[in-house]
Amino acid sequence: MRTPKPNTLTALLVSVLAAGIIAAAQDLTLPRKQGSLKFAVIGDTGTGDSNQARVAKVLWGTHQNFPYEFALMVGDNIYGADNPRDYEKKFEIPYKPILDAGVKFYAALGNHDSPNQRLYKPFNMNGQRFYSFKPKNGVRFFALDSNYMDPEQLQWLEKELKASGSDWKIAFFHHPLYSSGERHGSDTALKDQLEPLFQKYSVDLVLTGHDHVYERIKAQRGITYFVIGNSAKLRKGDLEDIGLTAKGFDAGYGFMLAELDGDQMHFQVISDQAKTIDAGVVLRNRQPNAPADAPPGTVTIPKKPQK
Amino acid sequence: MQTSRGWSVVPVLALILAAMWVTSPAAQAQKPDAKVLTEFKAKVEAYDTLRKDLQKKAPPLKKTDDPVEIAQAEKAFAQQVRVARANAKPGDIFTPDTQRVFKRLLNSTLKGDEGVENKHVLKEDRPPASKIPFEINGEYPKDQPLSTVPPDMLKVLPMLPENVQYRFVGKHLLLYCTRGNLIIDYMLNAIP
Repeated sequence: MRTPKPNTLTALLVSVLAAGIIAAAQDLTLPRKQGSLKFAVIGDTGTGDSNQARVAKVLWGTHQNFPYEFALMVGDNIYGADNPRDYEKKFEIPYKPILDAGVKFYAALGNHDSPNQRLYKPFNMNGQRFYSFKPKNGVRFFALDSNYMDPEQLQWLEKELKASGSDWKIAFFHHPLYSSGERHGSDTALKDQLEPLFQKYSVDLVLTGHDHVYERIKAQRGITYFVIGNSAKLRKGDLEDIGLTAKGFDAGYGFMLAELDGDQMHFQVISDQAKTIDAGVVLRNRQPNAPADAPPGTVTIPKKPQK
Repeated sequence: MQTSRGWSVVPVLALILAAMWVTSPAAQAQKPDAKVLTEFKAKVEAYDTLRKDLQKKAPPLKKTDDPVEIAQAEKAFAQQVRVARANAKPGDIFTPDTQRVFKRLLNSTLKGDEGVENKHVLKEDRPPASKIPFEINGEYPKDQPLSTVPPDMLKVLPMLPENVQYRFVGKHLLLYCTRGNLIIDYMLNAIP
């Protein structure tokens, strides 16, 4: 990766210091256990504007107390032109401290992304528009290209899901199967194709973007869905009450932190003002010792954030 | 009407007319769908073979930390294609026969409840037609989104090689080469 220009570095230093202040004000509710898998989720990020920069600062700030190993990008990674300068402005500069700390980014393609982003190494797509990776035993992530869900990709997904056995299965892609966003909403055509596979192979969690809001969807057929499309763009007041929302936030920007520990995935959603928007625990699907009153995909919310 | 032998003239005339129609040029022009689709696939495969040859002459499009290399590889390849396909015209791949069959296949995905969903997907974030140059070997504008193609449509259309995709611009269908970010053919009014 190229090194940003010196004046950019000065700006970054100021940003990093500011992020430290923000981080100090941030209460993390996550357990932060040793050996757990820690990651972040951002969506619809590639604007290169001050909103992206502000979210990036808070994201970096949280890394001090919550050293996530990687960040998932749920698409629209580079808005507008994607000339070389755009990669710098819309990705490398905003996330420089995070990249420098060795955090990997895993991208999915959005409708504003060139298919050739798959070759950009810092996106870790391994040259593929859809791919899977296993950051540690017992969990597998599936990055899909929801812009072009052709039979080849569906066949690949089924094969991969089938082979992943009892692992945690976490899918991430751009278009939400469920969303209360007025601008886009649920992509039912895509849902018809993907949901049967997700159910058949007990996918636990689905992370998407596209609607520029945060939304946690009430568990649908045992699967927990999130929309995290507000990490640089925002459509204020876009969430409609259509009975899907477990928790919504359409008044500001944000991102998600997640910690996977055994059969639980703790999550915390944080705004660009370093406020906790949502937090809770997703229970693993089909877990062998699940209590009878805890159906798969259940999300439990702690009563009080733990400091 | 009846002849002296008791034959009905109307069915006989109908048979004669049908026989004449079957052997007429108009009827022969209607190739069976399977044949049309096979021809289409052959044309796309020919493009893919050309792509493989031309990309040997261009900088490789490979995994890199430097987006400059991606941009250079795309542009150099696109230039090779423009030279090699200098005489390509609209409809060379989307021939009139292909257009007829494709329109019917696509139309079949626009009916009923699923059709409503598919129409909704096509309207989502579609680039304005005025922003896209309908030009063979033309560059797809980098600042415009690529339309999302409903999975139902991808199921009914012939499968394409890895570097070629179908993309819509409003009602118009593009054949898009991801390797060079190029429009290699287009079909106007592919859907109603």
